[in-house]
Amino acid sequence: MSAGSLWGKAARKFARDRLGMLALAVVAGYFLVAVGVWFGWWASGWPDLTGSKWEPVSASHWFGTNVIGQDIFDRAIYSTATAFEVGLVVALAATALGAVLGAFAGFFAGSWIDDLIVWVMGVLDAIPFYLFVAAVAFALAGNDWSMHAAMIATFWVGTGRLIRGEVIKLRGMEYVEAAHSIGVPETTIIFRHILPNTSHILLVQASVMFVGAIKAEVILSFLGLGIKDGMSWGLMIDESTKEVLAGFYNNFLAASVLMFGLVMAFNAVADALQDALDPRKVS
Amino acid sequence: MAGCQPPAEAGRGRSDLKVYRHSLDQGPTTLDPVQGANVYANFVIVNAYDTLYSYKYLARPYELKPNLAAGFPEISPDGLVYRFRLKPGVRFVDDPCFPGGRGREVVAEDLIYSIKRHFDPRNQPQGAWLWQGRIAGLEEWKAAGSDYDQPVSGLEALDDHTLEVRLLQPYPQLVATFAQGFSALVPREAVEKYGKGLGVRPVGSGPFRLISYDTARVVMERNPHYRQEPVDLAAEGYDPATQAFSGVEAIQGRSPPFVDRLEFNFINEPSASWSSFTKGDEIQLTVLPVEQVDRVLASKHPVTLRPEYASKYHLYAGLEAGFIFTAFNMDFPEFGYNEDPERERRNKALRCAIIKGYDWQGRNDSWYNGLGEIFPGIIVPASPEFDPTLSRASITRDVAGARRLLAENGWTAENLPELVYGTTTGTTERLFFEQFRAWMHAIGYPREKVVQKTYATFGDISRAWKRNQLPLVAKGWGLDYPDAENTLQLFYGPNGSPGSNDANWENAEFDRLYREAAVMLPSEERTRLYREMNRLVVDDCVAITGLSRTRIYLWHKDVIAIPDREILGGFWLKYVDLVPDAAAPAPATGT
Repeated sequence: MSAGSLWGKAARKFARDRLGMLALAVVAGYFLVAVGVWFGWWASGWPDLTGSKWEPVSASHWFGTNVIGQDIFDRAIYSTATAFEVGLVVALAATALGAVLGAFAGFFAGSWIDDLIVWVMGVLDAIPFYLFVAAVAFALAGNDWSMHAAMIATFWVGTGRLIRGEVIKLRGMEYVEAAHSIGVPETTIIFRHILPNTSHILLVQASVMFVGAIKAEVILSFLGLGIKDGMSWGLMIDESTKEVLAGFYNNFLAASVLMFGLVMAFNAVADALQDALDPRKVS
Repeated sequence: MAGCQPPAEAGRGRSDLKVYRHSLDQGPTTLDPVQGANVYANFVIVNAYDTLYSYKYLARPYELKPNLAAGFPEISPDGLVYRFRLKPGVRFVDDPCFPGGRGREVVAEDLIYSIKRHFDPRNQPQGAWLWQGRIAGLEEWKAAGSDYDQPVSGLEALDDHTLEVRLLQPYPQLVATFAQGFSALVPREAVEKYGKGLGVRPVGSGPFRLISYDTARVVMERNPHYRQEPVDLAAEGYDPATQAFSGVEAIQGRSPPFVDRLEFNFINEPSASWSSFTKGDEIQLTVLPVEQVDRVLASKHPVTLRPEYASKYHLYAGLEAGFIFTAFNMDFPEFGYNEDPERERRNKALRCAIIKGYDWQGRNDSWYNGLGEIFPGIIVPASPEFDPTLSRASITRDVAGARRLLAENGWTAENLPELVYGTTTGTTERLFFEQFRAWMHAIGYPREKVVQKTYATFGDISRAWKRNQLPLVAKGWGLDYPDAENTLQLFYGPNGSPGSNDANWENAEFDRLYREAAVMLPSEERTRLYREMNRLVVDDCVAITGLSRTRIYLWHKDVIAIPDREILGGFWLKYVDLVPDAAAPAPATGT
């Protein structure tokens, strides 16, 4: 990446955005926590009963314990990894799916391929999200990946529509016509010449979907449609609905504050990325 | 005398109605006695219909008393023939199913017809187990096509008010079965007119009749033709020392029902029930939610209210007539019976180790505020035959002992079988599982080998139990009648899946003792046999058991009642009254 390239300019602009850099540092911190969980450095004992019911904050239990005596801090930390796992899987898969289908629809705009993809987008848009997730979860009979599948199946639509529009614009440009004229296959044109020029859109969309997936996971887990085996902030908030009535707020606060921090930071990163990658502002 | 009524009633100018608003945590799925298999249906059914017997309102332990029956039956010396007499002049409620719309007299043939319905597969009956293999001729009648015009050899109406029941073998619990909602007397005219519609339109002779029924509420009104039977508190088992606080003396000498309207509000969420209760002008009774215990109670032993609540509400705390337990399904060769005798021996050691690893005290503290009563075996403390001398080793957690037992019998993390723990979906159920997994992990069970399998509804998991699909059956059981036979039958060999013996345990000695005790009247000898059976269950490590929960009821002080939902079921609701000056109760400002 040369200093004078679009990407170089965007990187310099992003680096000058203090809020964006601060948010990126926060996200990096969360990511480090998640990496530690994945490698078993910490929070691996979250299922253990290490205390008694609803112990208050103490040196041995930084966020207290839940109703069965599990350490809330361990559970909250472990949930960070769950959030990243869901966010990354959904964001990467949905972005890839949206990019490919959007690119095909845009490149073949007006053909039956475009009609079919746009029709599928319309159908998926018409189904209420949570109803769709419930249906997928039921159809997959409690499969651990049903929530991911449902999110990917719906989240790609927005990206697909954006990419389709961008590709319709790009396919008329001279370098694409030049590629056509020398006999480059259409799929090569799409994947090698057009899609790379939509990467600024894809990057922003991926970051938006990452946050969306985390929030959706929390809501779905709260509704009993999310994480099947493991721990997540949504499950912790679900647990807390009865605890707050008894005046015990630790589960609720731990999950809410950590989720709020990550979502806010990632939103700020996404905003900063959008500003940095906007061609009208970069140049 | 005015009652507290919803605004809609006031709007219709019915401010003189006395309305009692009860709450239950679930609603019934049908009001037809032939299918009313749960406590929620029973609450409504016994108020819409009559049964021959019921339980004394205030006596504890529970005691049967005649209801529609004129007295207790005459029993032949060999215990095989029972002669019941019905009270004359009792009428069904007025309904279009009767000629001229006027309810006719209830007669002995109605009970015969109602029992026959449980042996007609077209009704999808739930209560046949009460009389199957007990009353002569019922199974033959069923096998011959369930023709209601054909007689049953063991059921004969000697006249309109006398019924003779002939048994295949002595059945001391027979009278108690006629206090169950399943035995409610249904008029044939109503079944023939409404068919399946009877599930939403009861036509009985009980103290109340139905006005409306939906998923949120059942509304009933006083049956104007209900028989006049003044209350004799002494005969009902009244104990002034412990029950005078409720004001029940006010109903002495008066004929129930005392309220004009009875409402059942079905509120699944405990917090919503609590909010409605403390609002003051909605439901008048609630079970104290676990989450509110520390806030509401001043002490747990004994259970007392904080002054701010004691000034507004009455309190009753009592041990349930039932228990929670987890049975091993012996049909799973990984844990139970196995073709290899050596493996079967090791399986028993594995079951015993799991039992040693189970932390009943932890469960009690986490989920029941330490108020439950933990006991060994399957005879619950509410049973008259409860054995307080039984060793408590099976309910005392012993992690080191469990680990040692596993090691001595060659069990290692590598060869332990996968332990599937079935639950319904839900937060609490997931935490039940996590707690169980942690206990098992502590005795050396790898976490990944303790697996949760979830089911959408209780009906789904019940079907899985009945179809032998789960190695562990974690459930609760409420006594149908105050006799330990009712829990012992849960482990009687011939009752295996899809019957009530979900453990599919078959023990020749247990089964022999069960058959011997089944024909005996209550006696010291029968109690001895029961306790021997109880020890066999414990010794064979068939079940992780058990705990009886304490239920804490709160009700508004303008309500005169002693609530219950155990064996007594909904029978007590006809005795509910409101204090005379409760016309316009000020809304209580609970928290």
